[in-house]
Parts: sequence; structure tokens; C-alpha cells
Amino acid sequence: MTEIAMPQIESTNSRVETRVKAVKRFASGDNFFRRSTQGAALVVLLLLGGVIISLIQGSIPAFQAFGLGFFTTEIWNPVTEKFGAGAAIYGTLVTSAIAMAIAVPVGIGIAIFLTELCPPGLRRPVGIAIELLAGIPSIIYGIWGLFVFAPFMQQYVQPALIALFGDVPLLSSVFAGPPYGIGILTASLILAIMVLPFVTSISRDVFETVPPMLKESAYGVGCTTWEVVANIVIPYTRVGVIGGVMLGLGRALGETMAVTFVIGNAHKISASLIAPGTTISATIANEFTEAVGDLYTSSLIALGLILFMITFIVLAIARIMLMRLDVKAGR
Amino acid sequence: MNATAKPASNGVEKVSVRDLQFYYGASLALKGINLPLYERKSTAFIGPSGCGKSTLLRVLNRMYDLYPGQRAVGEVMLDGQNILDPGLDLNLLRARVGMVFQKPTPFPMSIYDNIAFGIRLYEKLPKSEMDGRVETALRRSALWTEVKDKLGANGLSLSGGQQQRLCIARTVAIKPEVILFDEPCSALDPISTAKIEELIDELREEYTIAIVTHNMQQAARVSQYTAFMYLGEMVEFDATDAVFTSPRDKRTQDYITGRFG
Repeated sequence: MTEIAMPQIESTNSRVETRVKAVKRFASGDNFFRRSTQGAALVVLLLLGGVIISLIQGSIPAFQAFGLGFFTTEIWNPVTEKFGAGAAIYGTLVTSAIAMAIAVPVGIGIAIFLTELCPPGLRRPVGIAIELLAGIPSIIYGIWGLFVFAPFMQQYVQPALIALFGDVPLLSSVFAGPPYGIGILTASLILAIMVLPFVTSISRDVFETVPPMLKESAYGVGCTTWEVVANIVIPYTRVGVIGGVMLGLGRALGETMAVTFVIGNAHKISASLIAPGTTISATIANEFTEAVGDLYTSSLIALGLILFMITFIVLAIARIMLMRLDVKAGR
Repeated sequence: MNATAKPASNGVEKVSVRDLQFYYGASLALKGINLPLYERKSTAFIGPSGCGKSTLLRVLNRMYDLYPGQRAVGEVMLDGQNILDPGLDLNLLRARVGMVFQKPTPFPMSIYDNIAFGIRLYEKLPKSEMDGRVETALRRSALWTEVKDKLGANGLSLSGGQQQRLCIARTVAIKPEVILFDEPCSALDPISTAKIEELIDELREEYTIAIVTHNMQQAARVSQYTAFMYLGEMVEFDATDAVFTSPRDKRTQDYITGRFG
């Protein structure tokens, strides 16, 4: 018995040794992998920190000169070197808000149609069209906006709006003034078209993650398609949908080229939506080449810092909203 | 009464499936099924994977209707009304024929709302009455004592077995007439399985039940009738005792003794 058992033990020992070696080799590989991914993650933090620091540093002269009034002042006068971000902040927020107000319901509606209602033959063509819409460079939206869409707005839409709301007390001032074609409203509509594919494709992707069995069980208690979508699909995917909306909002806030073409670039806060205005990114894009004075440059960098802060605040609000929703849903 | 169903004296036929053929696109999945479901009895569908048990179940509440390319030909009578009739109100049908799935599928809402949601679709109840209905449904599915202090918690926070009982409670709450179980215990541990089986046996006193199962002991434990299906055909239908003790068909015998499947 022992004679037979001996070689078995030996072979077991050598097998253990080779295993130990192999495991050690794995461990060093693991270590390298961990370090390199960790490094990549740290680079992101460093870059973010670097951007924030240089923005703050660059904007110090502007804030020293104008103080906190920089945020609210509407004046932007390179000749007298008086700068204020009021008009640009206002334009950025208003165009983004209008764009989202249009793009979110339409985008979610398209996503619901594509996932729940659409005949299979139509699903792919529409889906591909949406993705192509997202892939169009913004300069093309800008050219199209300026040469096609703005004249259309000037000739048909804006006169109609002015005529329609001219006698309504509050709305008459919202749609007041000569129809230039370009302006806040036109920029908002272009932004809505640009944001739409983001909201749509992300909503569609997350709607498709809803387990069929969950939908079936909702149909199983007698829900209609609308009830399933409103009570099951959207609550189940709300984190993803809000993520898509925030991505769209991020694009709307920062979108530069298309907006620069059609917004009119006037540093003025006007109650009228059809009046020309400006946004932070449009201002920076338009004026960085002519910014000769230090104060001028610094003011533009300060605008950049403000845009950065607005985006940050939007993301923070989104996080808080999601946490509230989770608390409400009892997680 | 059809040829395969012998025991006529044992109750009212709540559902009668007559010459049912089912197609996934061009492929025939059910080849002329005839089957009764007796009122206040459980009927188990057994058979190897792919034999059409689940397909048959999904015909009974027209769940297949959600998917284009799937269609059923023949007759399925529920209280004398053909549910395959294209003009039928599907939402109403599904309220009468409830379904519990393989995996627990709590809705993404609180435990209370999981139950109340289905009720609200059909009835406008004052809060106190709704509370009563929710409690009754949860008691009925033996879940009340475990969740009564956390009705506001999300349904997903429960354990797998509790989630499945929540799904049963949700189904019971809308007062269906027939309940379909599609392998309701396949994702559960033995203790939860025992609870669910006990529950199904109790529910049988009030409802007509059809249950698909891969577990022969389970079929023997919870059902009064058993249908053995093989390759899209109804091979044998009889009282459960008869099927398990003296099967008439060779294939049934081979399957229940574990020779294939």
C-alpha cells in the first residue's frame, strides 16, 4: 500500500508547488492591473482639479474689478471695459430650460413609442434616424438654423406668435418686438432638436432593460399599455431617464456653435423670447479672439467658471432628486 | 366533455380548451390541445422542457398577445365565452385570470402599493376600505405578520419567497376567478416553496388554479388533476392520483418515473 501511495504524495506536492507559483504570478499581474486602473482614475481627478484651479486663477482679476456684481450686471462693454455676466447667465438658463421643456416630453414619448407601441418594422429605421440626429455636428445645426430655420421663424412663426399673444396681458411682453428670426426662442428650438436624440436614445435603452416578466405581470393584473408605462416602466427606469435628461441638459447648457449662429449675440436681458440674447458659451466663442485687455480675458474666463458652476449645480440637484425619489420609494 | 377528460362528475368546467393550436411565427407549438380546468380545483401541467406547458398557460390569459407573430387557433371557453375572440377586452380578461410568474416580480413601489395598484385599476375605494383589502390579500397569502410593520417599504426589499407571496397577494387582491402559476417555486428555497404550496392548496378552495411545474412531487402535492404534455401534444389528462399511480400512456409512465425529461 505505502509503495503505491508514495509517488502519489510526491506528485501532489509538486502539483501544489506549481499552483503556488501560478498564484504568485497572478498576484503580481493583479497588482499591476490595480495600480494602472487606479492611476487612470487619479488622472481624472487631477485633470478636474487642474481645470478648476486655472479657471479660478484666471477669473480673479474680473472678480476683483467687479465683485459679486459680475453675476448680475447686464452691461458688457469692451470699450469702457465694464463687464457683467447677467445677460449671458440669463440666456443660458432660459434657452436650456425651454429646450428641455420641449425635448424631455417629446423624447420620452418617442422612446415609449419605440419600445412599447411601434410595429417591429418601423423600430429600426426610427431608432437609427434618432442616432443619426445625435451624430450631426453642431456647426451643421448652426448653418441650417441661420439660413433655413431663422428665416422660417421670421416669416411665419414669430409674426403669428406676436399676433396671437399681442392682446394677452402678460404674454404680450413675452412675445414682443420685431421678428428678427434669430433670438432666444430660435436658439431654444435648435437646442431642443439637438438634445432630443440624447433623451430619446437613453430613455429607449433604459426602457428596454425592464424585464419582460415585470411588464407581463403588470399586464397580468389588467393594466393598459399606458398604465404599464406610467406605473412600471418609468418608475423602474427613473434613474436612467433622469441620467439621460441630465446629459441632455449638460449639452444644452454648454452647446456653443449652433447657439452662436442663431441667438443674436446681444448682451441684453429682455422679457421677450423672440428678442436676441446671448449665452455664456456663445459669448466666449464670439469674443475670445478680440479679447485684448487682461480684464476682458479674465471676464471671459470668469464666464467659463460660472458655466462650470452651473453645470455642477445641475448635477448636484439631479443627485439630490434621485436620493429623494429613493427615500419616497422606500429604498 | 372531451375524450381525454374522463372524470366528468367531479365539478364544473370553468375553462375548456378545445382543439387549441398555437403558433410562434410559422412553427406549431401546441398541436390540438383539449383540456378542461375544473372550478375550485388545481390542475398541474407537467412535461419536459419545451413541451408547451407554459405556452398553454400563456394562452389562458392571452399574454401571448403582447408579442407580434404569436397566435392561437381554436377555442378557449371561460364560463362559456371564447377568450380567443379578437374583440375581447384583454384588461378585463387578465383581471379575471390572474398570473404568478417563475420569478417574483414585485412592482417598483411600496408593499402596500403593490397590492393597492391592481385594485385601483378597477375600483375607487376610500382609504379605510383599501387598507382592509390590502390586509386581507396579505393575510390570504400568509405575508401579513411579516410585513405589517413595513407596508411603506419597497417591495424589492423583501426576500425572494416573500416577494413571491407578495405577487400572489397582488393577484388575489383583484379577485380573479382563475389563477395561473408558471413554475412559481422554481426560484425559491425549500421552505419558501413549502409555504407557497400550502398557499396554493388553500387558494384552491376559492379559485380555479392551473400550475406549470417541473417538480413531479409538487404536482402530486398541490393538484387534483394532472395534464402530461409532450412535444406540443396533450398526452394524458386525468385525476392526479390516477396519472401518478396508473398512467395509461407509456410516455407518461416514462416521464414520471424519470426515464426522460
